[in-house]
Amino acid sequence: MTRLLAHAITRRATGGPSTGLRGRPLEQIAAGELDLWATRWDGEPTLSRDDAFAHHDLIAVLCDAGPCLPVRFGTWLNDEASARRSLEAEQDRFAAAVDRLGDRREVAITLLWLDAPSPEGRGHAVAPSGRAFLERQRALNAVTDERRSVAEALFEGLRRDLAVDQADVRHESCPSAEVALSMSLLARRDAADALKARATVAVGAIEGVRGVVSGPWPPYSFTADLETDGGG
Amino acid sequence: MSVPLAALPDEELSVLDLADRLLNRGVVITGEATISVAGVDLVYLGLNLILTAVETIAQREARAK
Repeated sequence: MTRLLAHAITRRATGGPSTGLRGRPLEQIAAGELDLWATRWDGEPTLSRDDAFAHHDLIAVLCDAGPCLPVRFGTWLNDEASARRSLEAEQDRFAAAVDRLGDRREVAITLLWLDAPSPEGRGHAVAPSGRAFLERQRALNAVTDERRSVAEALFEGLRRDLAVDQADVRHESCPSAEVALSMSLLARRDAADALKARATVAVGAIEGVRGVVSGPWPPYSFTADLETDGGG
Repeated sequence: MSVPLAALPDEELSVLDLADRLLNRGVVITGEATISVAGVDLVYLGLNLILTAVETIAQREARAK
């Protein structure tokens, strides 16, 4: 059976790459003002880790060519007709998002606690009693509340130091016991490397955590706005 | 045995951050699309991805020793 693995949505383009994942044909499916880029896929729709990064490489090429809305990895469409119907159904929403993101890129900041709980402590060798479990959860939550306050303060400090507009920042405090902060910043393509350099200096000055700054990447974390504000 | 995230090289952490975004972010096409990542060897929600991927790395390192 032939399917389509979706990669990105762009404004109508006169050309682009012709090869998709694993050397398969890359289809450019037009609907209204938009193009959907997708790999034509014969056979079993099973994907690998390498496919995920090849999907990223392909989106990066498309984003370099013009405004581009990344599609979540693993999105399958049955055929070109269903791809067109999906695009047409949300034409205005997608077009607004493509235009809003423009040529912008995402820079990622991750802060890791230096004194995080041991990873060995994440599992249970023996199931605890109900009371022991509740007491343990209460203790963990108490720590998390304290850490969350610290993480939020770190976020505010970074946002202030980096002078990034509120609308161009996404963050999650304490998404796991080892991670203090996961933060995404949006920057114009020609300013993204400079922002990354400033962020690297800023996180290096924070005590008690280790900071890693990554990117610039296509703006994966900023497509979620579609769910709430229609791309404004 | 698991490796603390803070002990990983920057490059490994950047790859994990990117994988997390590829699998959990990006626009969701509704209507006639289905999201299926069956067969991907590190498909987990949120930063659980990082934890599991790190365990995989640790197992690989243990086997190499």
